[in-house]
Amino acid sequence: MSETPTILLVEDDPQIRELVAATLEGEGYAIVEAGTAVQGAVEAGACKPDLLILDLGLPDRNGINFIRDYRIWSAVPILVLSARSQEISKVTALDAGADDYLTKPFGVSELLARVRALLRRPAAEREQLEPTIEFGDCRIDCVRRQVTRAGEPLHLTDIQYRLLILLASNPGRVLTHRQLLLQIWGGRAVENNQYLRVYVGHLRQKIERIPAQPQHILTEIGVGYRFQP
Amino acid sequence: MSVRKFLPALLVSVGLTLLMLPLQEAIDLSNTALLYVLVVVLIGSRYGRGPAIATALLSALLYAHVFVPPLFSLAITEVQYLLAAVVMLVVALLVGHLTASLKSQAEQVQARETQARALYDLARHLSAAQTPAEVEEIASRFLGTALQAIHTRILPESAFAAPPPPLTAALLQSALAGRHPLLSAGGDLRHTLALVPLIAAGPPRVLACELPAAQAGDTATRELLETASSVLTVALERTHFAEVARETELRRAAESLRSSILSALSHDLRTPLTVMVGLADTLALGKASPERQKSMLAALRNQALSINQLVTNLLDMAHLRSGNLELNEAWQPIDEVIGATLQQVRTHWKDREVTLDIPSGLPPLRFDAVLVERVLWNLLENAIKYSPADTPVELVVRRFGEWLDVMICDWGPGLPADGGEELFGLFRRGQAESSIPGVGLGLAIARSIAEAHGGQVLAENRMGGGACFRLRLPLGSAPTLSDLEDET
Repeated sequence: MSETPTILLVEDDPQIRELVAATLEGEGYAIVEAGTAVQGAVEAGACKPDLLILDLGLPDRNGINFIRDYRIWSAVPILVLSARSQEISKVTALDAGADDYLTKPFGVSELLARVRALLRRPAAEREQLEPTIEFGDCRIDCVRRQVTRAGEPLHLTDIQYRLLILLASNPGRVLTHRQLLLQIWGGRAVENNQYLRVYVGHLRQKIERIPAQPQHILTEIGVGYRFQP
Repeated sequence: MSVRKFLPALLVSVGLTLLMLPLQEAIDLSNTALLYVLVVVLIGSRYGRGPAIATALLSALLYAHVFVPPLFSLAITEVQYLLAAVVMLVVALLVGHLTASLKSQAEQVQARETQARALYDLARHLSAAQTPAEVEEIASRFLGTALQAIHTRILPESAFAAPPPPLTAALLQSALAGRHPLLSAGGDLRHTLALVPLIAAGPPRVLACELPAAQAGDTATRELLETASSVLTVALERTHFAEVARETELRRAAESLRSSILSALSHDLRTPLTVMVGLADTLALGKASPERQKSMLAALRNQALSINQLVTNLLDMAHLRSGNLELNEAWQPIDEVIGATLQQVRTHWKDREVTLDIPSGLPPLRFDAVLVERVLWNLLENAIKYSPADTPVELVVRRFGEWLDVMICDWGPGLPADGGEELFGLFRRGQAESSIPGVGLGLAIARSIAEAHGGQVLAENRMGGGACFRLRLPLGSAPTLSDLEDET
């Protein structure tokens, strides 16, 4: 990654493009703008961005297909902007390879937090995972497969442990039901969200202070879960 | 007429002759003749004219041959025997003819009664028909049983351009121009096309069917067809007017909804917009102190968010009412969606206290999480907005038999005395003009969503003041997760 990260912004609405560009430039990022999917694809090849911000409702091309094509040759993180009426396409976009989403209207602080989290990630992946992950009063020791809470060891089953590691190693990022099921149970359980909900419920009982009002494993209604350290 | 009807005539005449043969000496010749006449009457009344005549002729021959001297010869020697035989023949023919006519008249009356009953049934069924399609179906059934008609259709003028074969546009047009049933060669040799114009208020139509070729030309068939078509015309006229009335009612309802939407929007959209324009202008002047500027910017943001909330509700309502709502249902615990909703409530109202009372071990429910979250959000938002800021909002989950209730209660002024059912209407608010922003869609949305799940949203006042809104969802029977890894 270069000194100033480059962000490619593909959005057809000039006002939102202007707003997002101005905000991110104010934070010191270099912004390349595109108003159509075609232009976006050209710019993606030319400017080699560190992050792609993509509006799902482009006039010339379905955003989902754009993501699928882009993922074939690039692993650059994608942040999707969606309107509220596109609940389903949001999930489809994430499953297609997008890394996170923002629903319009979104706050500037939300936008910046997502951008920072996504730009941070590649560095963490390069360096190998941290052998220990800490959040709240919990600590995961990945080498010894031990989880402690306030110094006390927690007893987790195999699946609970894998679920926790998967969530905790993607801090701030939303993981869809499908992605979680696929990674933990493999292909056969992809449609069975109920398993996942039961395990998340049990995991919350063990690591959350008030399981009904979780602080770490947050529910993204209709989409999946997001881990907050 | 079938041959089988003549068989009894033969049997009875021969039988009588054989029966009388041994009694020839005991019974007078004229009495024997009378017995033959009796047989003719019986056959005539049972089997009609043809068999009666056949019996009369046969009986006369047998009588002359067997009983009249010289025996077993057709020759009649004495004049009086000849007279008796001829009289017997004439009487037998006459009586047979009369009996047979009587029978055929009785049969005609019977047929007419059956027809009248069928027409009555047709009229009765048509009285329940709501649409032209239903009228067509009933007509098809009626003509099918009464006239063995097939391919019965009622075609409006708009369908004349491309009618189903063997009908043609020209044929339909000429049927419409005429007053009476029009017959034409049909698709196959055994059937004849019959077309009857149905002229009523609304679009003119033509009744088309294919009748068995043999009976298509009958007067009875034509009469029945005409009577049926007049009954059908009345029914079609009625469906037409019912449709017009329905449309008028819909238009009126849409009109009144539109005006209430407009008045609600003009108030609730203009107020925040006025504030926003004013704030932006003031900020542009750059004369306010930095602290003042900061609070004005925060106000600007809040107003924009409240407009967003309003637009979201409007879009939700439009989506729910559009009729093509598809539930994305899944079995899931209710606590998860409650937790996620509270997370959002906290970002909007940081300091407001919301207490939770959720028993553990609740069974999962089948619902669309995104929609149920809207219900909970709307109910919580109402409770927070319409009760004093220093009182807590309480969220309680309870199981009642086959239902799971999520109750959201506040310490506000409570519901109006009439029970608050009014509040669930579109654009209804507790107080028409209020400083609290909102257009009165939240509860209507909540109820629509709950009903789509087979549940309900209920409102009640609680003991000690304040209102309680209850989201009631059916429990159903959750599938058991058999192959779960053992849990601790």
